Amino acid sequence: MSLDRLAEPGPATDGTVALAAEGYALAAAYDEMFARDGLVRPHYELLRERIAGLGADELGERQRTLERSFLLQGITFTVYGAESGAERIIPTDLFPRIIPASEWAVIEAGLSQRLKALNMFLADIYGEQKILKDGAIPRELVLGAASYRRVMRHLYVPHSAYANVCGSDLIRGEDGAFVVLEDNLRVPSGVSYMLANRDAARRTFPGVYRQAGVRPVERYPDLLLATLKSMASEWRSEPQVVVLTPGVYNSAYYEHAYLARLMGAPLVEGRDLVIHDNRVFMRTTAGLRRVDVIYRRVDDDFIDPLAFRRDSSLGVAGLFNAYRSGNVMICNAPGTGVADDKAVYAYVPGIIRYYLGEDPILPNVETYLCREPAQLSHVLANLKRLVVKAVGASGGFGMLVGPHATAREREAFAEQLRADPANYVAQPVIQLSTAPCLVDGRMEPRHVDLRPFILSGAKVVVTPGALTRVALRRGSLVVNSSQGGGSKDTWVLAEEPRS
Amino acid sequence: MMLARVADSLYWMGRYIERAEHVSRLSAVMLNATLERTAGAAQLGRIGLAALGERDAGRTDETYQAAHNLALDRDVDGSVLVSLARARENARQVRDQISTETWERLNLLYLRVTSARAEPAFDDDPPGFLNEIIADLHHFKGAADTTLSHGEGWRFLLLGVHLERAHLIARLLELCFSDGRTSAVTDPIALMGVLRMACALEPYLRVYTADIDPRFILRFLMFNEEFPRSVRFCTVRMEEFLTQLTREAGAARSLALRLAGRLDARLKYADVSEIEANGASTLLAAVAAECAAIHEATYETFVTYPLELSLPA
Repeated sequence: MSLDRLAEPGPATDGTVALAAEGYALAAAYDEMFARDGLVRPHYELLRERIAGLGADELGERQRTLERSFLLQGITFTVYGAESGAERIIPTDLFPRIIPASEWAVIEAGLSQRLKALNMFLADIYGEQKILKDGAIPRELVLGAASYRRVMRHLYVPHSAYANVCGSDLIRGEDGAFVVLEDNLRVPSGVSYMLANRDAARRTFPGVYRQAGVRPVERYPDLLLATLKSMASEWRSEPQVVVLTPGVYNSAYYEHAYLARLMGAPLVEGRDLVIHDNRVFMRTTAGLRRVDVIYRRVDDDFIDPLAFRRDSSLGVAGLFNAYRSGNVMICNAPGTGVADDKAVYAYVPGIIRYYLGEDPILPNVETYLCREPAQLSHVLANLKRLVVKAVGASGGFGMLVGPHATAREREAFAEQLRADPANYVAQPVIQLSTAPCLVDGRMEPRHVDLRPFILSGAKVVVTPGALTRVALRRGSLVVNSSQGGGSKDTWVLAEEPRS
Repeated sequence: MMLARVADSLYWMGRYIERAEHVSRLSAVMLNATLERTAGAAQLGRIGLAALGERDAGRTDETYQAAHNLALDRDVDGSVLVSLARARENARQVRDQISTETWERLNLLYLRVTSARAEPAFDDDPPGFLNEIIADLHHFKGAADTTLSHGEGWRFLLLGVHLERAHLIARLLELCFSDGRTSAVTDPIALMGVLRMACALEPYLRVYTADIDPRFILRFLMFNEEFPRSVRFCTVRMEEFLTQLTREAGAARSLALRLAGRLDARLKYADVSEIEANGASTLLAAVAAECAAIHEATYETFVTYPLELSLPA
């Protein structure tokens, strides 16, 4: 089968465009590559030409080369629960997802604005708590959140940069506008896949890459290092930065090692660190060396068994006290999770207005707080059309996708909802946008989201690129890698394509 | 200055790499010997099995099975697969410290021996399979040599390689030349096989010509200063690495360095004619014991040193 006619707009009948033998089925969702009328969007034109020129066999070959290269490089994640320590590569799609310059400008401005406001929010709730006194957000919703860390009250955080690394998940609704689905201010991951995907895409489509004028993402590691150093620059001229990992059995270990290698920072585990006199040292071949900044890839709960979970063996006893004494920086700061709590999320547009006096550039998805009786009854009456999420859960767990659930599943979930309404929020089901993916030698639409990475230290930097996560099962809206998701490279164009 | 845990991992990576290479070569030579129906070949087979730690070393019909297990059995401690898996596990622990080129060589090897195609490939041509592993390990060492900084981490890696090698060669020699052993090797075919097991046949011929004499073999594999698989070559390197590592750790001397220097001196000033007359067993046993002591001391000096002594006052 040839892909020559892949993107030729054939006879369009009820939203289906005959692109290949089976056709590229445009559905209700916004498609990244094809407009409603089946025409290729201008910023995808170069790629379309190249794909059509390569043909299915060559594309298949390039896909296999890419997968072999990922396996060889060890770009794998550990599958929990599967055969002990099994390593898999994250399925990666060949075709880049392309974002035009004008759309990116909005995303960039929107994300900077959002992270600035969220950092101000964190500084406030761990400080004066003005926003709570003014009643702009319910007191119990913030202070009662499981991710609120009372021990962070009145601690000095340089630049008020609590979340130094933020990965927000954006989606496009049916109208094509980007909205923020959730923020991730704890230990967001995926940036190494962004960089690895870029390497792969550049090798797969070198000509298109060069001609399209794609903005580079390669500076992420050095910008991250600069961000981390800026957290200690007030008291150390050459701060020693380390990356703290739970170890090789963590599913994101590859990323931890990758970032450490590209930043030139030691990759340490809890057992490598020693606390003495409220200062942090690492155990080296030449004795103990002082550590100034810890980029931790370990959750709050596990960084210090004395301050947080007592059964944790991943962290370092006494680390939090060293932090409290101002002798070490922990990045992201403990307690940032409260700002990406799914209930607090509903108030983020208000938070932006409260601190910055600006309208949010990127809107939220409409969210019902089940803690409010009126909204709860609305949610219960409309379960079939809604996605219900547990406030504290992540990774696509603890949620109900109404339209895809059976009547019995919905009934069971409704029980849980009534029992503990404050633990849930609900959102309308959004048809995430689709992007073309190579599936069994054909180009097929798959739903995607977008996770850009924002750094915040002395200043806020949005990396011009992102991880595009793909729901590989046809029609599926779940993009999490733990649930059959994959990824693809994301090209942010420097200029609008010439038409 | 590097993390103690990283030094530990690099050191063990070196040891496992060397072990995998040695076992591959021993097995390949042994399997080739089974093709011959001579007494010398049978003797070589027994030496191989004994060196590989097989207890029931009398039965040559089991050679193939033993070689197979030593190549690909996940449950046999010291099998090529287990050594490679451990080397890679250590490399993964320190992935941020080694170059991509080096890591990919090792990862490729690991993926090859653990893939479903490994068994049929071994059955199809066992020596070919093993020789390919050896070639890939050389590739790995070459990549390491040309892409890693020759700094502290590199020295820990090579300390592991040379310590393991000295130990393995000494053990092989002990099996062949230890006195009190009823079957001291004299058969020329078997002797050439022993040289092959140490990858030493061609370099030996260049020094001693085709005069295959057990005394010369012992001299070559024990004392030669230029051949990289002689014990002496290894002890020279060990002392050299430990001298620099000790200095880098900010100390003037360390127990590990002293032990390595003493072992090297013992070989350097050994009375070769006395050893040839009375047997090498004492010296060979001492090499094994000293290697173990150097290993312990290295740990105490660089990895498991007491914290109290290095805390700031």
